[in-house]
Amino acid sequence: MTTPIATQQTILVVGGGIAGMTAALEAAECGKQVILVEKTPSLGGRTAQLYRYFPKMCHPTCGLEINLKRIKGNPNVRVLTMTEVVGVSGSRGDYRVTLKVKPRYVTEACTACGDCARAVSSEIPNPFNYGLDKVKAAYLPHAMAYPLRYVIDASIVGTPEGEAAKAACKVGAIDLEMPEETLELSVGSVIWATGWRPYDAAKIQPYGYDRFKNVITSVEFERLADPHGPTGGKLLRPSDGKEAKNIAFIQCAGSRDENHLRHCSRICCMATLKQTQYVREVYGDEGKSTVYYIDIRAIDRFEDFYQNVQKDPNVRFVKSKVARIAENESNGNLILHGVDTEGYHRYANEHDLVVLAVGMEPEIVGIPLPADLVLDTSHFIEGSRTGGMFGAGAASSPLDVNRAVQSATAASLRAIQVIHRSATTEAA
Amino acid sequence: MTTANQQALAKYKNDFLKEVEANVEEGHWVRMCMQCGVCAGSCPLGPHWEHSPQKIFMMIRAGKREEVLTSDSMWMCTSCYNCIVRCPRKLPITHIMHGLANYAHRLGLAPKGQPTREIAKLFWNNLIKTGRVNELKFSLAMYFKDGFSQGVKNALAMQSIGLGLMKAKRLNPFEILGGHRCKDAAGIQKMIAKAREIEDRKKGFA
Amino acid sequence: MAENKFAAYICSGCGLGDTLDIGALEKVAQKEMKMSVVKSHPFLCSDEGVAMIKHDIAHEGVTHLCIAACSRRAKTEAFHFPSAAVSRANLREGVLWVVAEGSEHDEVRQEMAEDYVRMGCAEVKKMKVPAGNVKESSSKKILVVGGGVSGMTAALAAADAGYEVVLVEKTGELGGFAKSLVKRVPFAAPYADPQPTGIEEMVARVRAHAKIKVYVNATLAETSGAPGRFAVKIATESGSLSEELCGAIVQATGFTPYPIEKLPELGGGQPNVVDQAGLEALVRQAAGGTIRRADGKEVKSVVFVQCAGQRDATGQHLPYCSGHCCATSIKQAIYFKDANPEVDTVVMYQDLRVPGMGEDFYRSAQKRGVIFTKGKASQVKGGDVCQVTFKDLILDEENTIEADLVVLATGQVPVAGVNLDEWTATVTAAESGDETAKGKVSELKNISVLKLNYRQGPDMPQFKYGFADSHFICFPYETRRTGIYACGPMRRPMDMFQAQEDATGAALKAIQAVENAALGRAAHPRAWDLSFPSARLEGCTQCKRCTVECPFGAIDEDEKRFPKFNEERCRRCGTCMGACPVRVISFENYSVDTVGSQIKAVNIPDEFEEKPRILILACENDAYPALDMAGIQRLTYSAYVRAIPVRCLGSVNTIWVTDALNSGYDGVMLMGCKKGEDYQCHFVKGSEMAFYRMSKIDDTLKQLGLEPERVQSYEIAITDNARVAKLINDYVAQIQEMGLSPMKGFG
Repeated sequence: MTTPIATQQTILVVGGGIAGMTAALEAAECGKQVILVEKTPSLGGRTAQLYRYFPKMCHPTCGLEINLKRIKGNPNVRVLTMTEVVGVSGSRGDYRVTLKVKPRYVTEACTACGDCARAVSSEIPNPFNYGLDKVKAAYLPHAMAYPLRYVIDASIVGTPEGEAAKAACKVGAIDLEMPEETLELSVGSVIWATGWRPYDAAKIQPYGYDRFKNVITSVEFERLADPHGPTGGKLLRPSDGKEAKNIAFIQCAGSRDENHLRHCSRICCMATLKQTQYVREVYGDEGKSTVYYIDIRAIDRFEDFYQNVQKDPNVRFVKSKVARIAENESNGNLILHGVDTEGYHRYANEHDLVVLAVGMEPEIVGIPLPADLVLDTSHFIEGSRTGGMFGAGAASSPLDVNRAVQSATAASLRAIQVIHRSATTEAA
Repeated sequence: MTTANQQALAKYKNDFLKEVEANVEEGHWVRMCMQCGVCAGSCPLGPHWEHSPQKIFMMIRAGKREEVLTSDSMWMCTSCYNCIVRCPRKLPITHIMHGLANYAHRLGLAPKGQPTREIAKLFWNNLIKTGRVNELKFSLAMYFKDGFSQGVKNALAMQSIGLGLMKAKRLNPFEILGGHRCKDAAGIQKMIAKAREIEDRKKGFA
Repeated sequence: MAENKFAAYICSGCGLGDTLDIGALEKVAQKEMKMSVVKSHPFLCSDEGVAMIKHDIAHEGVTHLCIAACSRRAKTEAFHFPSAAVSRANLREGVLWVVAEGSEHDEVRQEMAEDYVRMGCAEVKKMKVPAGNVKESSSKKILVVGGGVSGMTAALAAADAGYEVVLVEKTGELGGFAKSLVKRVPFAAPYADPQPTGIEEMVARVRAHAKIKVYVNATLAETSGAPGRFAVKIATESGSLSEELCGAIVQATGFTPYPIEKLPELGGGQPNVVDQAGLEALVRQAAGGTIRRADGKEVKSVVFVQCAGQRDATGQHLPYCSGHCCATSIKQAIYFKDANPEVDTVVMYQDLRVPGMGEDFYRSAQKRGVIFTKGKASQVKGGDVCQVTFKDLILDEENTIEADLVVLATGQVPVAGVNLDEWTATVTAAESGDETAKGKVSELKNISVLKLNYRQGPDMPQFKYGFADSHFICFPYETRRTGIYACGPMRRPMDMFQAQEDATGAALKAIQAVENAALGRAAHPRAWDLSFPSARLEGCTQCKRCTVECPFGAIDEDEKRFPKFNEERCRRCGTCMGACPVRVISFENYSVDTVGSQIKAVNIPDEFEEKPRILILACENDAYPALDMAGIQRLTYSAYVRAIPVRCLGSVNTIWVTDALNSGYDGVMLMGCKKGEDYQCHFVKGSEMAFYRMSKIDDTLKQLGLEPERVQSYEIAITDNARVAKLINDYVAQIQEMGLSPMKGFG
């Protein structure tokens, strides 16, 4: 790989989700040079894994298509996938960044024809579907992947499977010897759009995510609802593939909880309200949703959406943090125990499927970061000490997509201000 | 009405939350509850409570002094700590429940004849005598708390368990003669008396 | 100008050569389409293949090329030839991957591929390379309207990036609503204490900034022009008019608190019942000491009633939640607790909405002893002893509490100028002679903030509830008035932190707009696009459909009532082109001809072959990717369809449809995005207009003796890969059942 050209007038954006793509594109469309690095093999991040957005119920891939078109049409953005930042030194206006590029084992010659995948039989858990199904070890991350190039999973490199993939490629795009590379860049400003990850639901012991097959997370439910997902859009529960028609949604699974995440993750209420409408979309009046909540945080115009869902006779709201879940071993159903606090009503409700509205944890938790960055108590990025690095999107606060884009656009201008300042002081 | 209760009423007027914060063990945590109800659902004895912990906290905040202090709810706590472990605000709920029970007891408002309360009293009285629990005397005291004939009935009903305990050397019939005690029982009693004096002074029961 | 030279490059890689007769495709390009250079390559996107094309452009004089290979969505970096006009014939995702395998399909598959080569060649022949329209004199100055937190933030953000700013504030001083606040909610860890607002420092920075020119006591008198050349007349208090030439506009005109008088049931207007702004005033008066009511009495107990006149389902008050009020009440309760911990403070809420780290602020108030009661207030009585009657939702009982003071958390009402729907209706009525409407027009003109002289009205279009928000989740700044960006609480209810983020973002978009305008480029979502619409006015009938239907108000009328295209406002969707009944509007690389010639290039078999031909006109943002992805997932659909991507269904001119039917197509499928309230169209009404126009086409069909089912419109989402394949197959079956078009052979 050729090291991309970067100078102190270049902005580095870390993370290729919607916030990172936005931050990169907004700066590039102002005429600035941007390098966008993404650690997975394709752009899009977690929004690409959502089925629909609240409150419009539109598809995130629609915006992704536009953003990809913007990237394809803009030579100011250089995209590096499978790349992570491993070191940052220097200060505002003059950072030196070390990047580690993992081998994809597939070169830019790949035409995405899919011959390698057909030649390989090994499978790996499908990262795009949160491991709910499997994908060949030579795979295209998803139908909208950008770059539109296959990936050879490291597990088959050095095996006959790897060789078979290589042999199947008619354009010679597979390079099983591709090394891991380290790149050094000089940039003026860094935008951290490293996003979020779903909180590890297994840590919420009473909900049995690690024990009960039919307890899943909200991000997994998105994949079930998506026609591109493991069930082709059918709401089938994992234990027996049965249609789940009586679904419990548990709010604040990890959030607003000092044992887990002390912050409110903001999006989960709306995400659940949206998901109740997936149930309606699939089953009509046969699908029942029950939302167990503490406070419904349907902020600003989202309130409309909440009021509409409240009118839906198939959606029930119970003001209660569920205490624990037990499994009915005879049918795989789950029994939720708790108390409806609006007037003290104890319940033991049986559901087909339980969806945990898991909280947003910054993706950077547990990763060594430059000392210049300032984090809050939940590890969201507040800024940097020398003022040349910025958080954007869900890396800066638990934000919905709209606010994440707003934040990324703002971060983009802040980065432009940094390079503008160093350009003008240089000139002076 | 006890004097202590009258004094407390006069002092805190209608502000029951302030009264709880000042006088109940860990009472200052009550304000931190966010009414999620996980404690209510987590309690194994929950179905037997008139009011759940979270509701009690709300009642305290709403000034429902009489209802809270005369309720038997907090006496139902068995210290399983499920609520403490799960509380998202880390309230020491178990301790608050015991604190409330203790406060109600000290004010003379605790429900009469409430079994948990009676057992607690018997246990305490048994313990402070020698500094050791005398299981045999404690058991007998429990059996006979409702009179002689009921005591005999209770003892007969528990006969096989008693014999089993004896066989397993978990129950010594000779304990009836006074039983084991710590080296300085009088010292223990003094210590407890002092502790009580300090607590009374602190909580205004002196 | 050098002569045009047309070339076709056909790829035989990715299995195309194994399944298709590449030689026959070459022949089609050469013989039928008369391309002067026709080459095939086993791996066209390889360095070698691309070098071959580049060589032909550089040394063989090739100016127009058709790449017959994969989808136009794939291999964009490899097939990037900025100096040439390029069309893409989609043989891979559009033919090879979607037509069923097996030799029994060889014939129809090959026909499909040949048609796509014909279409690609025909299209490129009609294309020109967009020249762009660089403007030397373009202004890069940013106009900011509104001198509150949002406006000042936007001004500073743009100025700090090196841009000149003009800031116009209606009142006599900068600072806006925030100036009246004693403190603000915290924006950073530990989220425990109210913070100084920093407004005075901000005002001082704005005042001192060399790049910011401030007008106070000033409003806009008239705004005309377009991005890069907005001529702005500023009316000042003295009555004088100043003029500024600006490149882009940030509107940050804020909000007003919902009037408390409208809430008599909650004590609005009664003594000792105030709104949050009223409380700030009392606290300011206390100057750090004891907080007193208007009558001077010390406040010893206070109740905050949340959602007052908000989240209202009755239709009387605000239906939305203003988002900031829970945290604001928490802050205000802390004012009391920090002044005197003995003050009883109760926050009465239904859902406490403090997202993110606001949870820590909530905890910090609880630690200070603020009581939170989940309850819904039904009545508030003001007076010396205020009474709040409410349903306690936890204890499930009606209750009343007394307090010295009650604070109603009322909502934010946007100040976004004139509602354009109302404007259009009023103007139309006034034009038809309605006298009251005439009076109303001048009234509305007074409400207007921007005073745009656009044909479509003087302000930005509003979204729901009067907020001038974007309709798009992925693109919060996707404005319907190019170069004009709303921010702060006039865009969406928000707190000061959000407003600052928002204003910084809006400033960036304004900067982008001036940069794009200078380069003659479009603005989002086609930021790369250098093409722009041109009209042959000699053919224009002055029907005004383009001026009315342009979703971005880009087209005005000149003195002679001809459409006047303001290219910098244009977003290149082609809605005007679709609207024009006489087809005089076109883009260099996208015109009635580029599409029309593709339609005509398709080889229509005669009726005895029993091979229907269905034309698909697919929105390039949703439907076309869905068709592509059907291919990537190897879903099969009928080889009888011929798909043409269009910029927007709004750009579909009915002539394409009637031409297609006239020339023997058996059916036309229009695939657009979702319409209606939650529309998906990034050009606002493209899909809706196409549906409308097609509903009007029935008469034409009747005249042709055709069934109305021959033209069908569909809403297709980008995820509809499987559905779109099924729709195609179902439609083809329906057409086959109906019988082929009787028009064959007459075209």
